[in-house]
Amino acid sequence: MTATTMAAPLAPPSAATSGHTRDRALWGAVMLAPYVLVFAVMVVYPVAYGLWIGLDLNAYRRLFADPIFLRTVLNTIIFVFVAVNLKFLIALALSGFFVAQRAWVRFVLVLFILPWAVPSIPTILSFRVMLNPETGMVNSQLFQWFGIVEGPGWLTDPTLAFLCSIMVHIWKSLPFWTLILVTGRLAIAQDLYEAASVDGASRWQQFRFITWPSLATLYVTSTMLSMIWTLGDFNSVYLLTGGGPGDLNHVLATLGIRYMRNNALDLGIASIIVAMPLILPMVYFMVKRLSKGADA
Amino acid sequence: MKSLRHLVTTAALAALTTGWVAPAMAQESITVWFTKGFYKGEDDALLAVVDKFQKATNVKVDLSLYATEDCVTKSVGAVEAGTPPDVGFCTTYDFRTTGKWAFEGKLEDVSDVLEPLKAQIQPQALATTFLMNDKTKKKAYYAFPVQQQMMHITYWKDMLEEAGFKESDIPKGWNGYWDFWCDKVQAGLRAKGKRIYAVGHPMGVAASDTFYSFLTFANAYGAQVVDEDGKIVLDQPKNKAAMIEAVKSYANILQRGCTPPSSVNWLDPDNNVAFHNKTTVMTHNATISIAAKHLDDMNNPALTQEQRDQAKKNYYDNIRTAEFPNKPDGSKMTNLAAVKTAVVFAEGKNKKRGKEFMAFMMKDENLRPFVEGSVGRWFPTTVEAAKAPFWTGDDPHRKIVQKQYTDGTVPFQFVYNYKFTAVNAENVWAKAVNRVVQDKIAPEAAVDEMIARIKQIAG
Amino acid sequence: MKKIIDESKLILIAIPVLLWTLLPIYHLFVLSISNQESMLAGKLWPDDPTLQNFQIVFKQQHYYLTNFWLQMFNSFFIALATGLITLFVATCAAFAIARLHVRGGRSIMNLALATYLIPAAFLAIPMYKAMGTYGLLNTQTALILAMVALASPYAIWVLKQASDKLPKELDEAAVMDGATSLQLFRLVYLPLMKPSMVVIGIYALLLAWNEYLYAFLLLSSEKAVPLAVGLGLFLSADDAPWNLLMAAGLLYAIPPAVIYYGFRKNMVAGLTSGSVKS
Repeated sequence: MTATTMAAPLAPPSAATSGHTRDRALWGAVMLAPYVLVFAVMVVYPVAYGLWIGLDLNAYRRLFADPIFLRTVLNTIIFVFVAVNLKFLIALALSGFFVAQRAWVRFVLVLFILPWAVPSIPTILSFRVMLNPETGMVNSQLFQWFGIVEGPGWLTDPTLAFLCSIMVHIWKSLPFWTLILVTGRLAIAQDLYEAASVDGASRWQQFRFITWPSLATLYVTSTMLSMIWTLGDFNSVYLLTGGGPGDLNHVLATLGIRYMRNNALDLGIASIIVAMPLILPMVYFMVKRLSKGADA
Repeated sequence: MKSLRHLVTTAALAALTTGWVAPAMAQESITVWFTKGFYKGEDDALLAVVDKFQKATNVKVDLSLYATEDCVTKSVGAVEAGTPPDVGFCTTYDFRTTGKWAFEGKLEDVSDVLEPLKAQIQPQALATTFLMNDKTKKKAYYAFPVQQQMMHITYWKDMLEEAGFKESDIPKGWNGYWDFWCDKVQAGLRAKGKRIYAVGHPMGVAASDTFYSFLTFANAYGAQVVDEDGKIVLDQPKNKAAMIEAVKSYANILQRGCTPPSSVNWLDPDNNVAFHNKTTVMTHNATISIAAKHLDDMNNPALTQEQRDQAKKNYYDNIRTAEFPNKPDGSKMTNLAAVKTAVVFAEGKNKKRGKEFMAFMMKDENLRPFVEGSVGRWFPTTVEAAKAPFWTGDDPHRKIVQKQYTDGTVPFQFVYNYKFTAVNAENVWAKAVNRVVQDKIAPEAAVDEMIARIKQIAG
Repeated sequence: MKKIIDESKLILIAIPVLLWTLLPIYHLFVLSISNQESMLAGKLWPDDPTLQNFQIVFKQQHYYLTNFWLQMFNSFFIALATGLITLFVATCAAFAIARLHVRGGRSIMNLALATYLIPAAFLAIPMYKAMGTYGLLNTQTALILAMVALASPYAIWVLKQASDKLPKELDEAAVMDGATSLQLFRLVYLPLMKPSMVVIGIYALLLAWNEYLYAFLLLSSEKAVPLAVGLGLFLSADDAPWNLLMAAGLLYAIPPAVIYYGFRKNMVAGLTSGSVKS
């Protein structure tokens, strides 16, 4: 960008010719077309098709008759509630750690990002092998050091296995949200803290009256986003336990795929549609919020 | 910037053309989906058949090999989407989909190919492919009986001896049999500080091993689920009581800590894995694939000589294949046989050629190398191949398999009522066992739930 | 004194954070250099660390690895194609919406945002069905299109925000000089958007490289699938070659990690303008 372009005349082009307007309209349409095409082909048609299949009320009857369905809905709610809140409390705390002005803390941050930077498959399967009750590293070490023959059934006890899925989910997505909150904290003016500590405010008071008010909006927005995406977390459950033991630990994201495998695609679609009342209000709210932010 | 734009355009074009232009230029072809074999020999034999067929007909065979579970998932999706291959052969079709597809008219009638071959195929194997089509309201042959499987016991003789027992110590009676492994053998090895389990007992809901094993138990207790007309009879007091016993017996192995805890999550290969690791002393498995792996290993050039020698010793000396114990009432066990079916899809683009391919495949000279390529994992469905020296020779494992088949077999419920493929797919059996084990409900209540659910699905 | 206490407090936090973060990655690494025996014994460090697993992977000597390099190439191809096509689609759209103020642009923007927010797992089955109707199942085109559809909404959003920050006067000056919309795009817009475009290209590339669910649903032939699906196949192996799986997995994880660290600065800058899907 050169100085001349910046210094260009500021007079509005009130006398814009109709040719120019037409040119803009034409090119606007042409350039928007690729995305509109992708959107129509990959989103509109599939969703419409899905809804059309989802009109079959019989599918819902069968869905609700399936004993694992209600359990899955309950699992999903608990999963999202626990995973998201736990994740954000930890992220909030850790973001305080990572803003410390130390070279080594920045190095720790670089390592801390790893779970987010690497693909899910190898790492989640690594968890899976590590937590295997017989041959996994954790129980083998328990046996070797403490002589515990039957270590905890990390992936075989339904409750533990569910908690492990939550743990893996947090492991994978914590770095990202921590980074977001770190960015948020870095945007807070440092002199506020300096002034506060001159006034003798405690750490807690600094957090309570300076950090939190500035972070609150970001925190809430992020929590909401994370809730929506956590609802769709397929990998943490599927790759770790496959929804087991005994199909007791499915969430809605994995249940649909399970129905598909069992030759019941209509139930898969129905289970997704059932989740929509949960998701769409949040999506609507977030779209409003984000697009408002975009205009600011 | 110019170069980036150029790159974007080129890549976009490249990506679009690879998908869309390529098929237009191809010669006549058929699409064939098979399960990827557990051993190289199976795939090699299949590729040889494909090669021969291509040379004989000049029709290109687009062969895709999928892992067991993916294979059936892909097929189901493709049938739903109306884009199936021409020929499909997944080793879990019979359990999951063949009957349903036939009923819904998704399969091509292959009677014209099978009728002339009738005399060459074992009758009970052939019978499983004579299926109802709801569209035509008639029964016809809708699948090819390619190969079959049944339950066997496999154990480590060397581990048994390490525990302080001889093979002749193994009881023949039902309860005594399981008590022997769980109480004596496991205790014997645990006393030596080994972290092992006596039995590899599949309990995962996503594994077909689990319902195969469970139904073997149900069969042992005489719990009849359907009659030959496909009507559910499990709620009759006698059958229900027998089913409760079967659930108790099946759950008991885990409850007494006799199978690895991870068995509740096992997929089909996992009891094999645990056995190969020597985490378990014995397991029940619906093929002799476990022993066969060692046979495969002893001829595997990628391994070291030492590893090959060990595999040979394992196959001939250390690993034993055996029959199930007698039923709880003392009578001889009759085995559930599952016939693996290949199908031609009604909506296949080139199903005529697909049928030709299967007719070609079913010829003894083509089918036998494929079946035998699995080194004993699958048993033939043709009369001749079952009598071949491959089975009757002095191979210690195949001999037992052959004997079990000649003792007679019984079919699965889905042969009588196709909706049992859905019952199996949902694994109602494993669910009931898991309810008892995980949720600690009474076996009686679990069986009530089981019956209710079966009626919902298959009633 | 206070300094030392502060420092040790920080260290007390850092230790568990690092343990938690690195344990599974350490485990992955240990398995990849273990032989079968040490692996099944669950050793903290293998008895005889070996590079043999990597050798087997490189030479594709295991049954489940016969297409390793091909699948690695597939991953590259799919990721690269997704990255470039997304860039093309999103840059054009962002320009049309933010600079040309095309009619309906706002609604498209909001619809795109909604697509971005709905979890991808829920769009998988409908998209799979639709691909069946298009006859694109089992082609890499299907996966690339799906990934473009999943990546472009966020891409458009970020690029639109970046576009909004460019001074309006630029366009006006260009228009005064008689530039057409296309010239404006080429000569003014693209050069200024370069930094954001790098971030977006990488975002789409990594999204496609890391994807498992869609790849596994839309593709099946062992020769067409990306490495993620190839690795998933290991779950059906009956001799538990987890050490090979981890060796192959490590090789699969390195490119995105390297790219991420190479572009860390840009990525963090990109992050502040919105949020990348986790």
